[in-house]
Amino acid sequence: MHLAFPDYLIIGLYFAVVLSVGFMIKFKIKTTNDFLMSSRSVPLWITSLAFISANLGAQEVIGMAASGAKYGIMTSHFYWLGAIPAMVFLGIFMMPFYYGSRARSVPEYLALRFDDKTRGLNAIAFAFMTIFSSGISLYALALLLKVILGWSFEFSIFMAAGIVLAYTFLGGLTSAVYNEVLQFFLIVLGIAPVVFIGLYEAGGWEGVSKHLPQAMVHTWKYMGSADDNPMGVNMWSMAMGLGFVMSFGYWCTDFLVVQRAMIARSMSAARRTPIIASFPKMMMPFIVIFPGLIALALTNAHSDFSLPLKADGRTDFDMALPSLIAHYYPSGLLGVGVTALLASFMSGMAGNVTAFNTVFTFDIYQAYIKKDGTDEHYLRVGKMATVFGIVASIGTAYITAGFNNLNDFLQLVFSFVNAPLFATFLLGMFWKRTTGHGAFWGLLLGTVLAAIFHGVTVAEGKGGWLGLNIHEFRSGMGQAFGVATVAWVGCFIITIMVSLFTKPKEEKELVGLVYSLTPKLEDAKSPVLIAIVMIILGIILNLIFF
Amino acid sequence: MKKLSDLRFIIGIFFSLSGLVLLLTYFIATESNHPKMNLYSGGAMFLFGLVMLLLFYKGDAENA
Repeated sequence: MHLAFPDYLIIGLYFAVVLSVGFMIKFKIKTTNDFLMSSRSVPLWITSLAFISANLGAQEVIGMAASGAKYGIMTSHFYWLGAIPAMVFLGIFMMPFYYGSRARSVPEYLALRFDDKTRGLNAIAFAFMTIFSSGISLYALALLLKVILGWSFEFSIFMAAGIVLAYTFLGGLTSAVYNEVLQFFLIVLGIAPVVFIGLYEAGGWEGVSKHLPQAMVHTWKYMGSADDNPMGVNMWSMAMGLGFVMSFGYWCTDFLVVQRAMIARSMSAARRTPIIASFPKMMMPFIVIFPGLIALALTNAHSDFSLPLKADGRTDFDMALPSLIAHYYPSGLLGVGVTALLASFMSGMAGNVTAFNTVFTFDIYQAYIKKDGTDEHYLRVGKMATVFGIVASIGTAYITAGFNNLNDFLQLVFSFVNAPLFATFLLGMFWKRTTGHGAFWGLLLGTVLAAIFHGVTVAEGKGGWLGLNIHEFRSGMGQAFGVATVAWVGCFIITIMVSLFTKPKEEKELVGLVYSLTPKLEDAKSPVLIAIVMIILGIILNLIFF
Repeated sequence: MKKLSDLRFIIGIFFSLSGLVLLLTYFIATESNHPKMNLYSGGAMFLFGLVMLLLFYKGDAENA
């Protein structure tokens, strides 16, 4: 891929704008609340777009196109089966507790609802995960730029990290959120042309369907058995593992995304944030998954485009989107496409760093190290945490570069930690008898159970590290769904059992934190109607591609 | 500075200028791969930028 002057002009313009945002927001930052919480004053349209944009990182943009080429339209289950119902659930049922409790973070909600040890467990795990995710994102960016543009690994890492550091350090969360929205539009407008031209070249959706196996162009039709579809997952495993445990676990409890709703101006706006965001989210498969399908269809049709191969001769699915952009975009638009890819990496990194600095400042430093500092002191800590987060991300990127399997290993550990979380929140918010001890041990042992299950099952040559193979999955994805389900069920049962044998909090302490003890909201702008519309639209999309 | 930090203004400026770069590239460049994509995409981005700027000025006038 060769960039010309107009391409560099677009990239330069983008960098200038994102840095200017940080500089302009800097003058509004006076307190810790401004820096880490945007003073809870961000308009609804911005929180909604930032909500999905914080998740629109490299794994989403590059990874979903790769999955589209590998598994087909079935990848859209991550959206139409998983994300949409989870986002609606968050807005209707969970946001009143997050926002209403005035907690500044998800771990702080756990402290209010349960106790400090549950908060500490979640905060420390989350802090590690965000730093590693940010570092992996940085590593993937540098690798991609090295492959497609020939830029040096060091230059890419320090350029991207330096820009993200500048705008997050100067403008805090508001700056990150503003840039996320800009990045959202850039990603959509920068990638949409490849979908249009790709569909045109392939002969529309009919042409794409003609050149792909039928199992790749249907979402549900071939899910009766794991043997019938390329994902190697059956309907039950998909619905429980992805649709319920993993999606609800991520969208309803991950502070990285929930934080975007928590900075809305009012409870009503906070509730509507994920629900309104679910509309652009359900359209994202057309932007991020379709390129993968189109790339494979064009390859199978023996057109002038073909998916690149890895050194070992296997198809390099990760290059589906970058190679389409390189093939079809003229100079100028190529700059927009490359900037969109850069934006996706930087958006993911900034999201992780701004979530990390909040959790570190409020849930680790203020909770365990210095409880009675001044606001100026915590503002300094928040800024230092931002610098530390970026430096640690760079370190992680270099570590990842030195160990081939570290990325896979870390993703695996994240799945162990994330999977049981939703059980803890579900019980905590809807069963007043749940205790802090129950939540802590449920989370801890749910994670251990996830690791053990992975150790006694095998998929695509992975897992089974305990030397005992009780089941072989057809695909790694099927195994991931299985691990998540076991972790969730384990956490759910252990939390209930331990809670029944331990003393719960007084009911008066749980008002505003538990469903049955919280007065019903009198919300003139109830989000229920919009939520129903979104669910219906999600069902329609499932039926269209059934 | 407050007006400049309005997100509609930032998005409007970025996409209007990017759209202009693409349109200029379409009219100036002599040979290229699928050149009309610069025309269509540049036009769409330019229009989107103008709409955001219009929303910014409208909102600004209402608040004044």
